[in-house]
Amino acid sequence: MFLKIENLKVKGDGKEILKGISLEIKKGEIQALLGPNASGKSTLAQVILGNPKYKIIKGKIFFKGKEITKLPPEKRAQLGLALSWQTPPVIRGVKLSHLIDIIKKREFKVKEKIASSLLEREINEGFSGGEKKISEILQILFLNPEFVIFDEIDSGLDVKRLEEVSKIIKNELLKKNVSVLLITHQGQILNFLRPHLVNVMVDGKIICREKDYKKVLKTIKNYGYEKCKKCELFAD
Amino acid sequence: MDMKNVKNANFLQIDHQIKNILQKQGVIILPSAKSWEKFQWVRKFFKRKPKEGYFVWVKKQISFPLTTCVAIVSPRISQDLKNFFVVEKNVKIKANILCEAAKNHLYGIHKAQGSILLKEGAGLEYEHFHKWGEEDLVNTDYEFILEKDSRLVYNYKNLFPPKNLSLKTKVQGYKNSSSNLTIVAKALNSKIDIKDNIFLRDEKSQTIVRLRLVGERQSQIQAVSKMFALSSGKGHLDCQGLLVDKEAKISLIPQLVCKNKEAQITHEASIGKINEEQLTYLRIRGLTETQAIDLIINGFLKT
Repeated sequence: MFLKIENLKVKGDGKEILKGISLEIKKGEIQALLGPNASGKSTLAQVILGNPKYKIIKGKIFFKGKEITKLPPEKRAQLGLALSWQTPPVIRGVKLSHLIDIIKKREFKVKEKIASSLLEREINEGFSGGEKKISEILQILFLNPEFVIFDEIDSGLDVKRLEEVSKIIKNELLKKNVSVLLITHQGQILNFLRPHLVNVMVDGKIICREKDYKKVLKTIKNYGYEKCKKCELFAD
Repeated sequence: MDMKNVKNANFLQIDHQIKNILQKQGVIILPSAKSWEKFQWVRKFFKRKPKEGYFVWVKKQISFPLTTCVAIVSPRISQDLKNFFVVEKNVKIKANILCEAAKNHLYGIHKAQGSILLKEGAGLEYEHFHKWGEEDLVNTDYEFILEKDSRLVYNYKNLFPPKNLSLKTKVQGYKNSSSNLTIVAKALNSKIDIKDNIFLRDEKSQTIVRLRLVGERQSQIQAVSKMFALSSGKGHLDCQGLLVDKEAKISLIPQLVCKNKEAQITHEASIGKINEEQLTYLRIRGLTETQAIDLIINGFLKT
């Protein structure tokens, strides 16, 4: 298994956020993680990447067969893990092009006008919601990762932009056998990227796994996340 | 900028010895002592005959930057410089001023006092670089006199701090003059004491002062930045500190003194620490913790 998470329990600010998460993602596979606000989706992404803010109280994370539970974030990045942040911080005085020069593991020609105009600006300083997403994708592409988590990449993007972003993920990552975990609240992006498996997370637990993303979206649309527990797809 | 680039400096002093003076057309460069002997009018600036230091008088427009370099290369040298830099009416120039110790642990003392006079309509972009060893003691005291319609851009940068640094800067702004001062310093096992006194003497004189100070391991920084509005001038003090080490200490004191009701003077001051989220963001991009801190500090110093 490319990425394997075993019974992960995590605390943040003294409170248990993840309450026993298990997840397996294969090489080249695309999975989605859906859930309401504050269900623990972003925490899971941050924990996979090694954010020291969170404390793992139980469970293990494996990547490419190696246990990475205690590895610092930079070592995980070196192994090929990458995260597109939902709300990336501003780094004042540092141009995006400068950061890319430091982190890049491959050359990548930036064709998009919007993307190239961001390069000479300070990272995330005054960026609109959409610009932040473009900046995140740009960094990911230069990182040449093997596994990418996109945390709410679809929020704040209009349909046209969402389609473009999906195309980039498809052509630059999925076609190159990169594994992807899409974290999404709305689920709109699933219509463009068609994940192999959808996981639904509520209150720190994955309560549903389903191959048919349309079925999941329909259930959530009709009953909301809180009623997911009652649906016939309930995982446990 | 460092010693490798200063072979062609217009003034080069090593320890107590003047190694080179490169004269250029339209500019007079002399040891300060000689200027005292040669020009009666410089005496009111020097007050008494200087022992060492340089005199630069830019009389005509030039198309290249002037460079001065004063270095300490031998152990236990004690320099006491008196400098005088004059830019004539309507002449606009750039100057690179480098003061440094060639290596660590020389236990040098560098004292520099001087005046920079911009005559009516003159313009000066003054890049002032300091690079010191951990045991050096450095004390500078400069006064900028900005005559009517003159423009000053002063950038002081010290990323290699000495054990003790005292940096005094005074600006006298006359009618319609403007100045933009940026002081960037990093303290590491060192004590830094900064004092700025800005006088908006005549109407329409303008000044912006930006302090960017970083306190690293076992360091103390105190900065007192004062602006006196004696006329209907405009001014702003922007003092920001970044604490990197938990045992470092930064004290920022901006002070505004207004003696004219038409004046507009403002200030802002803040001291923060390295933001954990920024640090994690960069580490998740593959930077080590040290690389991430350096990048955040360098970014802060550029803002």
